[in-house]
Amino acid sequence: MFEPKIKIGKDLYATLKKAADVAGYSSVDEFILHILETAAAEVEQAQSEEEVRKRLQGLGYIE
Amino acid sequence: MITIVSGLPRSGTSLMMQMLQAGGMTVLCDEKRPADEHNPRGYLELQKVRSLEKDNSWMPDAEGKVVKVVSLLLYHLPAGFEYRVIFMRRDLDEILRSQERMLEGLNQPGGPMRETMKQHFAKHLDSLAEWVTRQPHVKIIDCPYADLVVSPDSTARTVVDFLGVDLDIEKMIETVDPALYRQRNER
Repeated sequence: MFEPKIKIGKDLYATLKKAADVAGYSSVDEFILHILETAAAEVEQAQSEEEVRKRLQGLGYIE
Repeated sequence: MITIVSGLPRSGTSLMMQMLQAGGMTVLCDEKRPADEHNPRGYLELQKVRSLEKDNSWMPDAEGKVVKVVSLLLYHLPAGFEYRVIFMRRDLDEILRSQERMLEGLNQPGGPMRETMKQHFAKHLDSLAEWVTRQPHVKIIDCPYADLVVSPDSTARTVVDFLGVDLDIEKMIETVDPALYRQRNER
């Protein structure tokens, strides 16, 4: 099965490894996946709230 | 204590406001949004609520009363007050159909496809429900619109218990007219 991979610089990897150790993650991969999933969810949430906002404005419920 | 009736537009918030008013609660509203074909008995809204994000200076006027606040604006309820929120829940497909009809009447763009908008609303409601659990000054009760129309007596008693106030339950029940349950899903 195709597993996409992302390249990152050595310095950033080292920083992330340190942070993953401090935060108690079992691996850098696990830490990065968690960060990316959290970031993607936040973007999706913000997009949803923006669409809700537009709808409520259209209906005259918020300015 | 401030009573808030909240939910998505077209979820039955106006009906709940009418019930509480009939039961004897003082409603904080103005006449800026008159009754229309979508809400023949009136919206019972306060126009200042629309700009709650920018100006909440009027909130002390709501003490001891009930005011309607649309779901997205609950995040902006100012601290320093105790809130009891009656949150209206209604089938999202029914809500969306009703909203689309209302948008047409207002000559507003329809926005995303219905299924997409449904997902946005679902995420919004989930996020809001999670947020409420972290607000010690907000107590909330879910009130399903379908149950309200079918069993107004049960809903009225539940709401009165939740608020802990003495309201005329019979008059609250009389407010509910099942004929106004439009956009209903076939079950």
